[in-house]
Amino acid sequence: MTVTEEELCRHSDSVNEQLARYGVRFGIYRNGEFHEQLFPFDVIPRVIGHEEFSCLERGLKQRVSALNEFLKDIYSERKIISDGVVAEEFIYSGSGYLAQCDGVSPPKGIYAHISGIDLVQGKNGSWYVLEDNLRIPSGASYPMIARELCMRSIPSEFEGNMAEDNRDYPELLRRTMDFVNTGGHSVILTPGRLNAAYFEHSYFAERTGARLVTCDDLTVENDKLYFIDYSGRKEKVGAVYRRISDEYIDPVNFNRASLIGIPHIFDIYRKGNVALINAPGNGAADDKGIYYFVPRMIKYYLDEEPILQNAPTYLPYYEGDMKYVLENFDSLVIKDVAEAGGYGVVFGNKLSSQEKDNFKSMLKAEPRRFIAQEVIDFRDIDIYEEGRRVPRKADFRAFVLMSDEPVVWKSGLTRFSRNPDSFIVNSSQGGGFKDTWVISK
Amino acid sequence: MRRLIYSYHMHLDFETPVREHNFKLRCFPSTDGRQKISDEHIKICPVHFSTSERDSFGNMCIYGTAKQMHSRFSVDVSGTAEIDINLRIKAEPHQTGIFKYETALTSAGKNIREFHRSFEPRACAGEYERALYMMGMLCGEFSYVSGRTGINTTAEEAFTMRRGVCQDYAHILLSLCRLERIPCRYVAGMIPGEGATHAWTEIFDAGTWHGIDPTHNRECDDTYIKISSGRDAQDCAINQGVFYGGGRQTQEVRVIVRKK
Repeated sequence: MTVTEEELCRHSDSVNEQLARYGVRFGIYRNGEFHEQLFPFDVIPRVIGHEEFSCLERGLKQRVSALNEFLKDIYSERKIISDGVVAEEFIYSGSGYLAQCDGVSPPKGIYAHISGIDLVQGKNGSWYVLEDNLRIPSGASYPMIARELCMRSIPSEFEGNMAEDNRDYPELLRRTMDFVNTGGHSVILTPGRLNAAYFEHSYFAERTGARLVTCDDLTVENDKLYFIDYSGRKEKVGAVYRRISDEYIDPVNFNRASLIGIPHIFDIYRKGNVALINAPGNGAADDKGIYYFVPRMIKYYLDEEPILQNAPTYLPYYEGDMKYVLENFDSLVIKDVAEAGGYGVVFGNKLSSQEKDNFKSMLKAEPRRFIAQEVIDFRDIDIYEEGRRVPRKADFRAFVLMSDEPVVWKSGLTRFSRNPDSFIVNSSQGGGFKDTWVISK
Repeated sequence: MRRLIYSYHMHLDFETPVREHNFKLRCFPSTDGRQKISDEHIKICPVHFSTSERDSFGNMCIYGTAKQMHSRFSVDVSGTAEIDINLRIKAEPHQTGIFKYETALTSAGKNIREFHRSFEPRACAGEYERALYMMGMLCGEFSYVSGRTGINTTAEEAFTMRRGVCQDYAHILLSLCRLERIPCRYVAGMIPGEGATHAWTEIFDAGTWHGIDPTHNRECDDTYIKISSGRDAQDCAINQGVFYGGGRQTQEVRVIVRKK
C-alpha cells in the first residue's frame, strides 16, 4: 500500500460524507417508528488472502449446495426426515416452513439463489459459520459502493494491492436472475422507500439494468405476470427478485390482511410461470435450529465432509445437550430461534442469578425455542476511531449466488461492533461496516 | 355405498361495487380414496378469468379475477357424491408429519393443557382410539353455541369459553391430539340437511385417515362429503379474495345435501 495511515484516516470522513450524500442508509423500526440512519463506514478494509479465500469459497459452495438440496427434499420427498437425519419437529414447527410450498418445484430446481452466510474468524484463525441467511439477505450493496467511492477518493490505496474487483456483483446477480427467468423481464420488487434496505434495492436495479418495481406495478393476468408501465402498456415478467418476505407476497395465498403483495403471484409460481428469487419457504433452511443440522446435511446429500465448521452448538431439544447447556450456562450464548437481527441473543454470564433461573426455567419449558453456542473468541480487527486504530469485534457476510453453479462473490460485508464490549455487530444494533478485499494471487 | 346429492351456494354482497376482484375458492368436493364425485356443475359469477389447481394439501381450488364492477359475487357448486364406508384414504407416514404440530389456531394454551392433564393416562389400543377417548372428554365439557366465536377464534379461546361451533370443536380436538403428537387434520365438508358447511377432523392411524366428528361425538359415516382438509380452518379457507372498493360486505352460504 502506497497510502499512509494518516491519509487513509483523513479520507474516512470524506468517504462517509459521500455515502451520506448517496443516501447509503438503512432504516430501522423502533417502538413503531421508522428511523433512517447512516451506516458508518470504516476505511480499513478486511483483507482475506488468496489461499484462505479459496478454502472459504469451496466451503461456501458446498454449504449452499447442501442447503438447496435440503429445501428441495423437505418440500417433496422428505427423505432426510424418514432417514432420521433431521428431527421433523425442527422443520414443521419452524416459522419459516411454508406448507403451501409443498410439492412446488421452482424453475431449474433452485431455491437458494442468493445466500448470505455469516462467518466469524476465531483468534486461532479458523472460520466458523454463525448463520445461514436464505430468505432475503441484504448488504452486498454497501461494500460495492464503498469500494467505488474509495477508488475515487483514494486511488493510490489500490495501486498494486491485487484486491479482486468487487464491482462484478451486478453481473452475478443478473446471471442469477436470467438463469431462472421463465420468459420476459427480470425485475427487483421493493416494498418501497420505507424499507430498511431501500438503498440497496434501488442500487441493484440501477446496476443490473433490472426494473425497480413495487407491487402496484405488477399484475397477474391469464396466469402470467406483467409489468404495467406509466402509459398502461403491459410487459411480461419472468423473474422477480423480490425483497418482500413470504407472508406479504400474495394476499390471496398468504397473509390476507396484507395491503401489499400481488394477488395470484404464488399461484402462477406454482405452475412454473414465473421465478421468485429467493424461493418462498426458504426460511425452513435458515432457521437457527436447522443450522445445527447443516454439517449433517452436507454429509447426507453430498457425501462429503463439511469444509466449513459451525460454531459449537447445542440443541436443548436433545436431552444430552440440555444437560450440557444447564451446566455450562455461563460460558454460552443462547439464541431464540424465532428472532433475527441480533435480537433475542443472551449471554449466559451477563445475567443476574435471578434472571438466570428464570431463563433456565423458560429453556426447560420450551426447549425447541432455543439454541446455545460456545462464545467464540473472535479475532478483533482494527477500525479508526477518532484518529486512532482500535480493535473491535467483526463478522463477515459472504454472498453466494446460484445460477448453473454456485458462485461466491469475491468480497463481502464486514460488519463491526462500535461498542468495544459488544459481540453484536448487526447494523440494526448500531454497528458499522468495512469493505472486504480478497487478494487475487 | 351411498349416493348423496349436494349443492353449495355462496354469495358476497358488497355495499358499494368492487372491481379487480381476485379470488381463490376452495369449495369443490373432489374424488379421493373414499368418495367419488360425478355430475359436477360449477358456476362462478362474475368472472373474467379462472383456472383450477390442487393446493399442497391436495384440495381442489379455483382462482381467478373478476375485473368488471360488481356488487355481488356468487359461487354455485352441485354434484353427486358416492361414498363407501369401507374405503379409507391412505397416506405414507412421511406425508403426515406436518399434521402432528400445532398451528396458530390449534395452539394449546394454559386451559387446554390443564384439561389434557386431567385425562386418564394413555391406555388405548391405538392413536385412533385415543382420539375417540379425547373426543368424548371434549364433548362432556363443551357446548354447541353459535355466535360466540368467529373464523379467527383459536382453540384456546373457544375452549376457555366452553362454547362454540363445529370449527371450534375441531380445532380443540386437533389441539389435544397434537399434544400427544397424533397426526390429525381439519376437514371442511357437508352433511345431510340444509344449512352451512360442516367441519370435523381426521386422525391418522395404521396407514389410513379416519374421520371423526367432535360436534356430534361420533365417527364419520358415509354421509360425510369432504370438501377440503389441512392443518386447520385457515388451510381450508373456502374463499380468500382481495378487491378494490366495497365498504361493508355480507356473506351468505346455503348447503343442501340429500340422500338419494
